[in-house]
Amino acid sequence: MTNQALEIKRLHQYFNRGTSNERHILRGLDLTLDSGEFVAVIGGNGAGKSTLMNSIAGNLPVDEGQILINQEDVTYESVAQRARLIGRVFQDPQMGTAPLLTVEENLSLAMLRGQRRKILTPGVKRRQRAFLQEKLALLNLGLEDRLGAEIGLLSGGQRQAITLLMATLQNPAILLLDEHTAALDPETSQIVMNLTAKLVAEQHLTTLMITHNMAAALQFGNRLIMLDHGKIAVDIRGAEKEKLTVPDLLALFKQRSGQELTDDAMLLS
Amino acid sequence: MDLLISSLSLGLLWSIMAIGVYLTFRILDIADMTAEGSFPLGAAVTARQIVAGVNPWLATLSDLLAGCLAGFVSGFLHTKLKIPALLTGILTLTGLYSVNLLIMGQSNISLLGRVSTVITQLSGLSPTFAAILIGALVLAVVIFLLVTFFNTEIGLAARAVGDNEQMSAANGINADNMKIIIYMISNGLIALAGSLMAQINGYADSSMGIGTIVIALAAIIIAEVLVQNLSFGWRLITIIGGAIIYRLIIALVLQWGVDPNNLRLFYALMLTVFLAAPLLQQRFAQQRRRQKNMASFKEEQHD
Ligand SMILES: Nc1ncnc2c1ncn2[C@@H]1O[C@H](COP(=O)(O)OP(=O)(O)OP(=O)(O)O)[C@@H](O)[C@H]1O
Ligand SMILES: [Mg+2]
Repeated sequence: MTNQALEIKRLHQYFNRGTSNERHILRGLDLTLDSGEFVAVIGGNGAGKSTLMNSIAGNLPVDEGQILINQEDVTYESVAQRARLIGRVFQDPQMGTAPLLTVEENLSLAMLRGQRRKILTPGVKRRQRAFLQEKLALLNLGLEDRLGAEIGLLSGGQRQAITLLMATLQNPAILLLDEHTAALDPETSQIVMNLTAKLVAEQHLTTLMITHNMAAALQFGNRLIMLDHGKIAVDIRGAEKEKLTVPDLLALFKQRSGQELTDDAMLLS
Repeated sequence: MDLLISSLSLGLLWSIMAIGVYLTFRILDIADMTAEGSFPLGAAVTARQIVAGVNPWLATLSDLLAGCLAGFVSGFLHTKLKIPALLTGILTLTGLYSVNLLIMGQSNISLLGRVSTVITQLSGLSPTFAAILIGALVLAVVIFLLVTFFNTEIGLAARAVGDNEQMSAANGINADNMKIIIYMISNGLIALAGSLMAQINGYADSSMGIGTIVIALAAIIIAEVLVQNLSFGWRLITIIGGAIIYRLIIALVLQWGVDPNNLRLFYALMLTVFLAAPLLQQRFAQQRRRQKNMASFKEEQHD
């Protein structure tokens, strides 16, 4: 048996459960990710993609079902507790970094993800500086000279790239990306996507990436799942995914859900 | 000159308490009313011990612990029981009123006469100079320790919680615990200020906390209006200036003949002005820009 990085069993999520506004968002979703898989997640607005990600990260308490990361049951762990296993980049570039702290302070915080923080050790370590600069240089955004700059002064793209770095500094068991390039301009979005692919490949990260960009969903990753009405409607991997084209994908979606799919790339053109 | 020196001595004391309030106010974005209870708590704990003959330095240190405990209660209520911050402060403050009376056994303890306080320990100096010396010394130690702490692994995590709670959780930081730590340090410092105040004034009184938060916030805002965009350490140092300036203004007002009974009304009015000042400034600037903008269109019509 291969090593399973993520295992979700019969996951149900409701909003306003027990009221007249009850909405059953995830409906018995099953999903298993082998270690090293890079999965693109697509689906219509409101399909439950973000709900799935928030369940994995612990932002939403699980109503029914079980979640295992690296074979550890994290179903009832808090966000902070399971952070040792998870790297995460949000859609909003403001969300992944602390704006009043410097670049170096933010990165130093991320270096300690999953470890016990001590009171007698400095938060920023001089001996780590060269290492952090080296990592920043890989981003190619000139940030290696700006360790002392407050993150709030940087652009959205720069902040998103740093968040990505922070999420991957301590090899996470699973990397969660929720439309992490959607708020960026096309060029910056491309840079961050390429950086994502590079980091994922180099560190063999098991990754779940939500996107509305069909071309990106096809170009990146070795597996593609489509969410519809709280379940996985399509699950394609490997060679089969390689052959898929954007029109194929849109047709497939229409056939499975009876709806049109939103595609960022199409909206833009 | 006398006015300056007395303002300096009281301002230094106030700034210890203002620095305490600053931690919850600016790092957690909470105006923590617990301050009004932990200030007299510090005074009560110290006074009771000093009267019983305990070494005044020990008595002064012990109120730090008492203040931390009060901060723990508020922090716990706010984070673990999810009670809104303002109510949390009011709850602890109300409870502390009884606790303080219990500790003192009466509503007022005099520290004048034969008892030994940190002020009388420096017997070679006049009481005012002793107060200034002790205030400056305590401030130096407090600021050094705070700057050091907020740059440790835990301190950095605490700052991150105040700055972006979601990000801190995603990086494995337990936000509740960090908030409780900040609450504890904050109220520990406020109690320390209360203890020193009691020893300088020569009495502890159960009602001496009224106005604590207003005074502290005024000192903070003066510092922030006068010097903007500072690092944490420098900000703490400017709060000392803010507190002294504030005390000086009040001393001048008193000398001017304002009835001390009206003083708290004055505290409140002044803080209102300080708090509103940045907004008013902005409004005026905006008004001017609009007028200029409109004027340019009028000119166009005439062309
Ligand atoms: N806090 C909430 N309370 C009630 N309903 C919610 C809440 N959060 C999300 N929903 C609903 O749950 C459904 C799924 O939302 P979710 O954010 O998971 O969709 P999504 O697949 O990420 O969509 P999108 O592509 O628009 O981001 C939506 O219909 C949404 O309106
Ligand atoms: Mg979403």
